[in-house]
Amino acid sequence: MASLTLDALTKRYGDNVVVKSVSLDVRDGEFLVLLGPSGCGKTTTLRMIAGFVPPSGGSMRIGDKDITTLPPWKRNAGLVFQSYALFPHMTVNENVGFGLDMRKVDRAEITGRVAEALRLVRLEGYGERYPRQLSGGQQQRVALARALVIRPDVLLLDEPLSNLDAKLRLEVRLEIRALQQQLGLTTVMVTHDQEEALTMADRLVVMSDGAVRQVGTQSDLYERPADLFVADFVGRSTMISGAVTAPGAFRSDGGLSLSCQPSAAAGPATIALRPERLTLGAAAQGLANHATGKVTFVSYLGALLDVHVRLNDTDHVVVQIPNRSDGHVPAVGDTIEVGWPASACLVFPREAA
Amino acid sequence: MAAVSSRPVGEPGNLTAAGLLVPATIFVAIGLMVPIAILFRYSLNAFVPGQLMVDALTIDNYVKFFTDPFYLQVLWRTVRVAVACTVFCLLFGFPLAYVLARTQSPYKNLLVMAIVLPLFVGNAVRAAGWMVAFGSKGFVNSTLMGMGVISQPIEIMYTEMAVVIGIIAVNLPFMVLTLQSVIEGIDRNVEEAAFSLGAPPMTMATRVLFPLALPGILAGVILTFILAMNAYATPVLLGGPKFQTMGPLVFSTFAQQNNWPFGGAVSFILMTATLILTIASSLLIRRRYA
Repeated sequence: MASLTLDALTKRYGDNVVVKSVSLDVRDGEFLVLLGPSGCGKTTTLRMIAGFVPPSGGSMRIGDKDITTLPPWKRNAGLVFQSYALFPHMTVNENVGFGLDMRKVDRAEITGRVAEALRLVRLEGYGERYPRQLSGGQQQRVALARALVIRPDVLLLDEPLSNLDAKLRLEVRLEIRALQQQLGLTTVMVTHDQEEALTMADRLVVMSDGAVRQVGTQSDLYERPADLFVADFVGRSTMISGAVTAPGAFRSDGGLSLSCQPSAAAGPATIALRPERLTLGAAAQGLANHATGKVTFVSYLGALLDVHVRLNDTDHVVVQIPNRSDGHVPAVGDTIEVGWPASACLVFPREAA
Repeated sequence: MAAVSSRPVGEPGNLTAAGLLVPATIFVAIGLMVPIAILFRYSLNAFVPGQLMVDALTIDNYVKFFTDPFYLQVLWRTVRVAVACTVFCLLFGFPLAYVLARTQSPYKNLLVMAIVLPLFVGNAVRAAGWMVAFGSKGFVNSTLMGMGVISQPIEIMYTEMAVVIGIIAVNLPFMVLTLQSVIEGIDRNVEEAAFSLGAPPMTMATRVLFPLALPGILAGVILTFILAMNAYATPVLLGGPKFQTMGPLVFSTFAQQNNWPFGGAVSFILMTATLILTIASSLLIRRRYA
């Protein structure tokens, strides 16, 4: 195990820059998740770390060793693919033992370490089977065992859960996380699924258009998003556009006067609101911001309700409230009071178009 | 019975399925099996000059083939040429097929067309082209002599090498297309997994790529080997009258010597040799990589 450092890593295809000078520090034993929409450069970044894509600029180090120009087979990186990529013509034992075989480890030791790796992923007794005789979840665990058994310096996970069904995904997610912590593996995972990212990561990297937007913990990203993109991509936000007119004062395009944190700079801006920070009904009265609106849509999510409220012709918000059996459930068409504290307003200066 | 079809035998679905098989079955039976059976019967007949074929039940024709050094030489030469062609087709074809299968180029279809294009030129026409190029006063020799590289024309025409080159040119597209379709079915990530686990390219190829491409390698080898064993136009035109192989021998025995019984025997020996060697090579490749 070792730390992984990316320094101004860049990938260009002709004039098209798909990864723009990405610098990251993955600490020893840390689980870092690259999160972003498709085409944001996260997979290309991972493939550069694995050695399949030669960078156009910048460098990479594992510990103190420069790996920028090292071919994949000399990097000692354990890789798990979305498609599992097990060798279909080899048994589970042969699959898991492949990396050790390449390292010229002797037979007896291979047998022992393969058994140990299969025990870790709870697949003892499956060694003689072929991949096609296993379920998707089992294949995924074999792929994981195969990547772990070589004692990699870094573990790279490329959307490892995308091919699993929803219920299994939750299980495997926790399993991978537990294993990663138990073994202290320096891990980089790529995903577009933010829930997956939030549950598994020590730190997250939000990418878009090939660039890093923000690096931080779950609460950093959620409570203090660096920009509108992160606010929109991590969790959900409803946006109100307008302008900061004076310190702590915001006027929406729809004419609402709102108070926000005084630190926001004057000028055109957008406010992002987390749905769960808003309050409905009488309780809204006492808050710094409140307005009256009409319920346009209610979606029933089981434990929670999403209530869409139109405040005026241009402004509308989504309010998430717990679904309590004794509570009043708003209905479409109701006129209702909405309120939120000034601290709930995340203010972002409008980006120059 | 445990596994009874949910549909009783004789229902319309079964009839349709059976009906669909009929034309091909009739075609294979009448077009292939019957003539071969008749040919085999002929090969046991006797040949009397002047009377041509005489009804008999004798293995004389086979004995004649296997006791005459000339005919054995023809068979050995045919096998040698076919094996050489197949090996070279595989060696040249695999890298080409791999690139073709893995390329991201928008011109991939053009590349495939370029591979198929030679098949648009018939064997005889192509061989005639080779004759023009490789004759002692042909394009290659006159160029080399003009440049002063050689003083005497190189003898390419009417050699075994000319025939081998000619057949490779004909068979290579079959090998490449067969391999390409199989390689395309192999997940690229599997190769990358092998790399990331520490396998350098050649190790990856022998441990992962070749075993997974085995069905394609077998199909390609069988296809090109059969074509090479039975080649006709290329050995006749590029090998010349003294370069006898089995395909032309069958034809001349039938058409020029009118010796149908012996022609039948030669045909059967060619067919059997092809079959045995194909099976042998399949087993060999399977054992090596499976």
